[in-house]
Amino acid sequence: MLLKITDLKKQFNGQQILNGIDLSINKGEVVVIIGPSGSGKTTLLRNLNFLEQADSGLMEFAGEKINLAQATKSEIQMVRRKTAMVFQNYNLFKNKTAQENIAEGLIYGHGENAKTANQKAVQALKNLGLDKRKDYYPSQLSGGQQQRIGIARATVLNPEIILFDEPTSALDPELVGTVLKDIQQLAEQGQTMIVVTHQMWFARNVASRVLFFADGEIIESGTPVQIFEHPQKQRTKQFLNALADNY
Amino acid sequence: MFDLNFAKDSFNQILAATPLTLIVALVATIIGLGLAILVVIAREKRILVLSQFLAILVSFIRGTPILVQLYVVYYGLPQLLVLMNEWGWNTNPNGLPAIIIAFSAYGLNAMANLSESIRAAYHSVDFGQYEAALSIGMTPFRAMTQIVIPQLIINLIPNFTNIFLDLIKDTALIYNIGLVEIMGQANIVSSIGFKYLETYTDALIIYIIICWIFAQLFRLVEGKLRQRYFVV
Ligand SMILES: Nc1ncnc2c1ncn2[C@@H]1O[C@H](COP(=O)(O)OP(=O)(O)OP(=O)(O)O)[C@@H](O)[C@H]1O
Ligand SMILES: [Mg+2]
Repeated sequence: MLLKITDLKKQFNGQQILNGIDLSINKGEVVVIIGPSGSGKTTLLRNLNFLEQADSGLMEFAGEKINLAQATKSEIQMVRRKTAMVFQNYNLFKNKTAQENIAEGLIYGHGENAKTANQKAVQALKNLGLDKRKDYYPSQLSGGQQQRIGIARATVLNPEIILFDEPTSALDPELVGTVLKDIQQLAEQGQTMIVVTHQMWFARNVASRVLFFADGEIIESGTPVQIFEHPQKQRTKQFLNALADNY
Repeated sequence: MFDLNFAKDSFNQILAATPLTLIVALVATIIGLGLAILVVIAREKRILVLSQFLAILVSFIRGTPILVQLYVVYYGLPQLLVLMNEWGWNTNPNGLPAIIIAFSAYGLNAMANLSESIRAAYHSVDFGQYEAALSIGMTPFRAMTQIVIPQLIINLIPNFTNIFLDLIKDTALIYNIGLVEIMGQANIVSSIGFKYLETYTDALIIYIIICWIFAQLFRLVEGKLRQRYFVV
């Protein structure tokens, strides 16, 4: 087991947003989280890399046991070095070029020397077919290009787990496919990941496990077939029916 | 009648006082910037008591005329030194040069204005930029120096320019404590020939030129940075 979360709880302003999450993930697993807006999916991801600090809960990761509410600076740093996150609105560094965006984490997060870091960054851009854009700043790149670079910025670090928070929901429809294919390819290479998405075909086709999330809890968890074809819980059925009505 | 020849003859004399104007404005900016950075850190980190105290101090300074502040420092700073001597320090309250008074008063004034501008510039940097930096393993310190501060600086330049130009103009008041900068020199020269309009017109022209030069300079720097980083 790569990551195990036990009884993670988080409140905002006295409101329980995450209500005791238990979750374990094996190496190579692709866990896709689906669920209604406001149910706490983003909050869960942000608690995993300490962009928010949980009120209580336990994390077992990379051989360490971490009390989520009282994580030390070095524990937080360790977790962040072994994970990476891809954001809904990309969050590429505006004052850095495409290449620098990718190299920066290697240099300043992982202590690699600038030369190898830049070589890796250029290689990553080549793999995306974006090497001609290496000196472009984010404001000169399309949303799709930015997000693909955002993914490269994460993968180049060789993280144990990548957290994707709705990586395609800010993209124009015709770009969604390209970016999801990048992620699918990563998944096929064995990259462990947690993906929050509203793209059901991705959940069906790429997930090794689907979690249905509502009201701060994991309502139901299973293979894509179990969740999409044979949902057990009323709440899951409602959600999937409502989605079906929209198409 | 406007005595053009007197104005011409006086111009260089008044211009010769420009360095003091610039020195006070520059030193005050440097002192103010250093203090403002500390103020912003204390206030953003919400350090108990200190941050509240600084918030009040800043709003006091921003809410009062600089001339009053100058007088308060002029009469207050020696008193403070007397007090410090009683606590066992060894200072000379009577020998305080006027220029030190000017640096202190204008430095504090710059601190107040700059700290507010730096805070605004800091808050205008998208918090997601900082979070993204943390998420790839940068320490909070690195995330600040690599990502947040460079973006903050670009946001800061327009306000920084205004504050600096205000300081240059406000130093016209230091002749009140016996320092002869552009305005003081204009006063002296005019009292010689009893021609006031001429010398004040000279001073006006000098201020306009100085401010124009600095405004262009800072605009150039900002433009270059924005162009360099394509930050729009
Ligand atoms: N920093 C915060 N302060 C206060 N409340 C917050 C904060 N972050 C999230 N919340 C609240 O927590 C709840 C869950 O938010 P979250 O963003 O995790 O939902 P989500 O499942 O990701 O929704 P979506 O699908 O719309 O992205 C919401 O009610 C939100 O208002
Ligand atoms: Mg969300």
